[in-house]
Amino acid sequence: MISSEHPFEIIHDFVFDRTRSIRQDLSIQNIIDEHAIEMYEKMVEFHIISHLKLAKSHRDPDNSSLHYLNMEQLTKCLLSLYEIYDLNRSPEFIIKKENEFHSFYVLLHLGRKNSIMKESLSLWFRHLSSQILLSREMRFARTLLSYFRMGNYKRFFAILAMEASQLQLRLIEPFLNEVRVQALSCINHSGYKLQPYPLELLAELLMIKEHELESLCCECGLQIITDELGCKLLPAKQSNFHHPKSDLESYSLTTPVKFHR
Amino acid sequence: MSFTSMGEAHRRIADFLNRFSEAVSTQDGASLKSLLSVSSNSSLLLSLADDLNLYQDWSRLVKQAERNSHTLGEILVPHLRCVQSYRSGRFVEAYAAFEKSANAFLQEFRNWETAWAVEAMHVVAHEIRILAELADKELASLGKNPEKLQGAGSFLMKVFGSLAGKGPKRVGALYVTCQLFKAYFKLGTVHLCRSVIRSIETAKFFDFEEFPSSDKVTYMYYTGRLEVYNENFVAADQKLTYALMHCNSRHEANLRMILKYLIPVKLSIGILPKMSLLDKFHLTEYTNIVKALKQGDLRLLRRALQEHEDQFLRTGVYLVLEKLELQVYQRLVKKIYIFQKQKDPSKAHQIKLDVIVKALKWLEIDMDVDEVECMMAILIYKNLMKGYFAHKSKVVVLSKQEPFPKLNGKPVSS
Repeated sequence: MISSEHPFEIIHDFVFDRTRSIRQDLSIQNIIDEHAIEMYEKMVEFHIISHLKLAKSHRDPDNSSLHYLNMEQLTKCLLSLYEIYDLNRSPEFIIKKENEFHSFYVLLHLGRKNSIMKESLSLWFRHLSSQILLSREMRFARTLLSYFRMGNYKRFFAILAMEASQLQLRLIEPFLNEVRVQALSCINHSGYKLQPYPLELLAELLMIKEHELESLCCECGLQIITDELGCKLLPAKQSNFHHPKSDLESYSLTTPVKFHR
Repeated sequence: MSFTSMGEAHRRIADFLNRFSEAVSTQDGASLKSLLSVSSNSSLLLSLADDLNLYQDWSRLVKQAERNSHTLGEILVPHLRCVQSYRSGRFVEAYAAFEKSANAFLQEFRNWETAWAVEAMHVVAHEIRILAELADKELASLGKNPEKLQGAGSFLMKVFGSLAGKGPKRVGALYVTCQLFKAYFKLGTVHLCRSVIRSIETAKFFDFEEFPSSDKVTYMYYTGRLEVYNENFVAADQKLTYALMHCNSRHEANLRMILKYLIPVKLSIGILPKMSLLDKFHLTEYTNIVKALKQGDLRLLRRALQEHEDQFLRTGVYLVLEKLELQVYQRLVKKIYIFQKQKDPSKAHQIKLDVIVKALKWLEIDMDVDEVECMMAILIYKNLMKGYFAHKSKVVVLSKQEPFPKLNGKPVSS
């Protein structure tokens, strides 16, 4: 799948179609054992990797719908996978990746809701076993989501650095700019006009390269000033602030820290 | 144990069949009801089951009785099979039979123009749900896919359809809606209720006030809960308060169920219940949360959430309660402000971020200056505080007028 010969979108399309037919086959033939689990887990991984790659290749405007469709498929796969987990539950059969794969559904709520997510997250939680809900991976996802909902950008990025697994991070990455834009909005609204915010510090807090933060500010209509020492600063109370006009432009920004688990 | 002869069993079965067809021909809904409630474990049906087991050839009796009405046989044969299976604890069988009977009953019901059989239809609606739940338990224990409740849900939709119209039967629609809620809440597929809710609320055929009071309370309870899950607090407050106000004050268990959801809603819009209320209804899981809000004690809030984490997740209010942290922060900063005001009113409106860091440390909460600054920015952004933060001076400057706006029945702005 990671071949550089063909543009990713074409590969994605091909595999996307294949995974969709596999899912249909599995469901028609009612195959629900460990092999089904393995296949679904692989499909979910594919969609997560696509999710990140599609987010990054922002030049083609068609990609936003591809990206959205991919998220829908990812959600569908996850929900089917959870049903199969439930059907295979027994004391002898330990499902290894269950906790992590459940956490993905929570993390998807960092983005905008898609049409497959028909129920609220609170309702979804009600039907999960305590064992899953209180697992490390789920706790991480729930905590991250709560920082997101509260707007606590400081902790959001800090915990991300410390606890996200590879797959979790790939899933979260396309949503990071939304969090950063929120932080900018907040600081711009609540800051003191005469004491602008040092960009370097902000970049550190938001885990982004300084020059990329500058671009992001630009996309939000925010101006950056430079002081006598050459340090870049973000003045507050700028009236031109707006959310970036197009989703896609923001995705070129990435986190500078590499996480391994 | 009395010895039942075949003859007696035969007689009692024939008796039952007669009662059934009598009830239908005289349009006696009350009598019909009691003949249908399989799960009630009434002595009538329990002994009937024994008779059916004894007199194995009972379907012949039904055919004989059918000279009155062919269609009743379609209802009665599976119904009796259900009664038999239920008695033996074979719930999957019982459900399958009941579903057949229920569908036949519904077909007849559609033809009866007046509302005489609505209560009986209600019993059918109730029973199909209960039997489906029992059947699903049995299926799950056998390692099979529990899909009967889903099927019951589809049937209930059909029943709802038969009641949605201009005729007199429409007052029965809300009861069926509530059965649907119970089924879909249990299944976790609550979005399937949306079309039904829309039907009820767009008042094309229905006048909400016409429905029986107890149905209205149940309806508002469930739709109120939905609003809680979707975090629409104003709507949730409205609906759950309605349920509370109109609920029979003697039904303490029901009042408690309503309060379980209403309290987190009230807290989210800045209204705190009295401790005596929490005690009266044994809702002590909320005690420390209310205290934390009153005192600005962040540590207490977090502890309370952790202590009852599982319970709150099961109820579905955990995410709602988590959000209360912002209001607790607000209270904490307000306390610092009040304290400073007492010491030196002229400087009270300027609070050093370090002071807040210290206050949190005293609560055993480890937050650095950057995070405190972040939280202050958020509180101001969400209008829980009026003022601004000065990054270089590491200070938050509060507005001289009403620096801590009250929520006043509105949720924290998003």
